[in-house]
Amino acid sequence: MLIGIAGGVVAGIVLLVLLFKLMWRVAEPNEALVISGSKHGEGLGFRIITGRGTLVVPGVQVVRRLSLDLNEAALDVECVTSQGIPVHVKGVVIFKVGDDPSSIANAARRFLDQQKMMGQRVHNVFAGHLRSIVGGLTVEDMIRDRERLTGETRSASGIEMEKLGLIIDSLQIQEILDPTGYITNLAAPHAAAVQRDARIAAAEADRRATEAEQEAFARKAEATRNSGIQQAGYQAEMDTAAARALQAGPLAQAAARQEVVVQETKVAELEAHRKEQQLQADVRKPADARAYETRTKAEADRDARISAAEALSRETDLKTAAEANRVKVAAAAEAEATRARGLAAAEATRATGEAQAAAEAAKGLAEAEAARAKGLAEAEATRAQGLAEAEGIKARAAALAENQEAVVAQQLAENWPAIVRAGADAFGNVEHMVLLNGAEGMSEMFAKALTMGGTGLGLARQLLTSMNTGAPAEAPAEPAPATQVIPVQADSGN
Amino acid sequence: MIGLVGRVTGRIGAGLVGEVMVSVPERPGSEAFLAYRAVPGEPLEPGSMVVVVDYQPPRTVYVEPF
Repeated sequence: MLIGIAGGVVAGIVLLVLLFKLMWRVAEPNEALVISGSKHGEGLGFRIITGRGTLVVPGVQVVRRLSLDLNEAALDVECVTSQGIPVHVKGVVIFKVGDDPSSIANAARRFLDQQKMMGQRVHNVFAGHLRSIVGGLTVEDMIRDRERLTGETRSASGIEMEKLGLIIDSLQIQEILDPTGYITNLAAPHAAAVQRDARIAAAEADRRATEAEQEAFARKAEATRNSGIQQAGYQAEMDTAAARALQAGPLAQAAARQEVVVQETKVAELEAHRKEQQLQADVRKPADARAYETRTKAEADRDARISAAEALSRETDLKTAAEANRVKVAAAAEAEATRARGLAAAEATRATGEAQAAAEAAKGLAEAEAARAKGLAEAEATRAQGLAEAEGIKARAAALAENQEAVVAQQLAENWPAIVRAGADAFGNVEHMVLLNGAEGMSEMFAKALTMGGTGLGLARQLLTSMNTGAPAEAPAEPAPATQVIPVQADSGN
Repeated sequence: MIGLVGRVTGRIGAGLVGEVMVSVPERPGSEAFLAYRAVPGEPLEPGSMVVVVDYQPPRTVYVEPF
């Protein structure tokens, strides 16, 4: 019983589960459930469920599944273009049922039982549209502007696909076949041009390559030539150097020889020089010495002769001078004696005069006595007389106007020897004197010298003359020889 | 649908239908719609953004440049 109850419960549960299983329907993501058989508020007459489960009453409601998957329709259409050229267009349309309920409803109404036929239907739709569109296009447009083709196809078929509840995911024109070869021919000029350009380019490239090659060859040849020239140049230099090297020995020899010759020449020159020097020393110098000797001897002879003559002349002069001196000395002695006698006489006279003066007035007898004395003694006597007279005058205090002159005369008489010496100084530096007119000239010379020597001599003479105007006329003649004698004496003394 | 923004995927010529992709919030993914220009004007090239100004069920929209 219990087992029966339990079995019944289990069976009931199983039954419930199976019942639920039968009643519960779930829509897959890629499908839509179309449930019909019950009233529905949307006015469609059926219910659309997507993406969830729903309870379905079996036997009352019917559930159909509409695939929302992608579908594909291959297009293969024979068309004629606007130029009347038949073409074969191949393409593919990828489409699906729209996701919105209205699209699903449209599609469900049209394709629910013909989902396998969907591609065929779509192909037919697109084939018609493609034909009409291709008929309005040229082959060139189709080839160059496929986007336009697809765009126009889509816009032409869009409304219809909308009616079918489908959306086009993709429309591809894959190939345009050309049975008449139009496209090939269309491409032919271009291909030919391309081929021509290619050939031209190839030819140009070939030409350039050839040019480059030839230029390279030319360069190569030039380089080879230059190299050859350079090599030849270097070879020539090497040959020159070798030849020079070969000649170097002889050249060095010659140079050495030249050096030797130069040295020998120098030696010879030196030898010649030495010889010349020796000649100079051996021949010329002795000759010169001899000549010099001869000349010197001659000069010495001549000088000796001159000296002898001079000595002779000197001797003669000296003799003459000695003679003169002797005469002078004798004369001087004589004069001295005379003078001494005069002086003595004068002394006597003066003593007498003084005695007479003391005795009587000045008397002319004393003067007469003095005048009768010899030459210079008379003069002295005269001077002494003058002096005595002057003294007498002084003594008598008879001042006379001639007092000054008498003083001058007195001084002159006292300085006589100095004056005469000054006159004789003119002959002081004369070593030798040759007088051509003998002794007469001698005295003349002396007289002249005396005249030149003392300028005051004339004055003295005048003074003496003026003083002796009162004396006898013969008196002035005698003092002159006395004056001549005294300077000579002084001169010889010097 | 109105006010949604989409993108042109097929050229919308003058008086010709094009294609736009629009994402509809109620449904996952984005869908292609046939599109016309709401006001005739320049053609809209693919890639340009548009806004839906009118919707004709099931799959037609009228768009304007966004």
